[in-house]
Amino acid sequence: MVAIVLQTMLVSHISVLGVTADLFLIFTVVIGISRGSLDGAIFGFVAGLVADLAFMQPLGIRALTYVLVGYFVGMVVVRFGTVGPWAVFLIALGASFSAQVLYGLLQFVMGPRAGFFTILGVQILPEALLDALVAIPVYVLLIRLRVIPGPRGVEPAVSRGGTE
Amino acid sequence: MPRSKVAWRRLVFVILIIVSLALLTVTFRETETGPVHSVQQFGAGLLSPLQSWGAKVAKPFQDGYTWFRTIWSAHKKANELQSQVQALQGEVVQLEQQAEENQRLRGLLDIHDKGTYPSGTTFKVAHVIAKSPSRWEAWVMIDKGTADGLRLNLPVVGATPMAGETLAGKGLVGKITYITAHQARVTLITDSTSSVAATIQGPRAEGMVEGSLSGSLFMNYVDRDLRVDPKLVIVTSGYGGISPAGIPIGIVANVGEEDVNPNKEIEVQAFVDFRVLEEVMVIVLPEESSSGS
Repeated sequence: MVAIVLQTMLVSHISVLGVTADLFLIFTVVIGISRGSLDGAIFGFVAGLVADLAFMQPLGIRALTYVLVGYFVGMVVVRFGTVGPWAVFLIALGASFSAQVLYGLLQFVMGPRAGFFTILGVQILPEALLDALVAIPVYVLLIRLRVIPGPRGVEPAVSRGGTE
Repeated sequence: MPRSKVAWRRLVFVILIIVSLALLTVTFRETETGPVHSVQQFGAGLLSPLQSWGAKVAKPFQDGYTWFRTIWSAHKKANELQSQVQALQGEVVQLEQQAEENQRLRGLLDIHDKGTYPSGTTFKVAHVIAKSPSRWEAWVMIDKGTADGLRLNLPVVGATPMAGETLAGKGLVGKITYITAHQARVTLITDSTSSVAATIQGPRAEGMVEGSLSGSLFMNYVDRDLRVDPKLVIVTSGYGGISPAGIPIGIVANVGEEDVNPNKEIEVQAFVDFRVLEEVMVIVLPEESSSGS
């Protein structure tokens, strides 16, 4: 809900280097990091649907992208254990980059075409960087507000339901 | 248990993927009025007030940021523009000067083209580098001398910007009265010692155009019986061997007569404005055709 409000009311209107941060994606990444792959996938699905509604895009395109992001971020964190702010930055950077490439591929298949390297330079890389930078304070804030649990230690694979 | 948890997780993941793909497929396959589109439009309608309010809330911050950004670049731009303006102003002044010089030189060319000169006559353009400091004498110094082929008593013509509505701005300036290797002094026709044989076009009245201490020009020795009207053009007559015939001098400004004087008193307005003389052209006559006065 917070992501919806902030994204639609505020963040979409603030442009840095021609791109805006994607709070839906950032929150999906943060949820995936803190709560695991299942919660990350579900949150990603809901956030993606809301984003599709808010941005008047084909329903399901962002849902599909964010489901994948939320799930795989959760898996990566489980495999590598605890995360600090720098890890959040790197994970968010990679997740945003991957999500945008996937989204771009879907767009390429469905409709508008543009040079990949052009899109890489003017959209994908700047937004990935911006999302990664915004993810750190969002992660810290949500921990402080006890919305999400803080960083976990490395848990035995057995107690976490095995590796994936 | 753990295994079922993993399985459950994977199942949910797959279901979400399938649902997303299904929604995507239905969205593309159905028409604009289909159920999925309707839901989407309803959802967008719910969110649009948020977006509008968000735009209003964000606007002051956006404007503030834009203001700071533009202030900085505006300041920089203003400095650049000011430098450009100064440079351009300098260029404009230069161009105006060049245009005026062009006009003057065209005037000299006009004299060159339209005059009738003895065979072998050449022309040398020179710049005025000094002027007489007082009214006792009327002369200008030019930057050409004997090294450039000049000699004493050669006639000099000039062209200046328009000195009045009807004046052509080009005509006789004077003659060389002093010369060195690289400079020469030209005594102007307005000098009190200057005297030029002239003709009034129309009545073909002959006389002498003479200067005065006041700088005014007068044409003397014109028979009072001849009809002379104002604005008639006065040109050199060629007598005296200094200036070739036909070089314009000025126009009749005023005609006066006295009962005891057998001649008319004609005031002449020179074509050339001697106050702003910058270039002159020396008519280098063949040696046998010129002689001292």
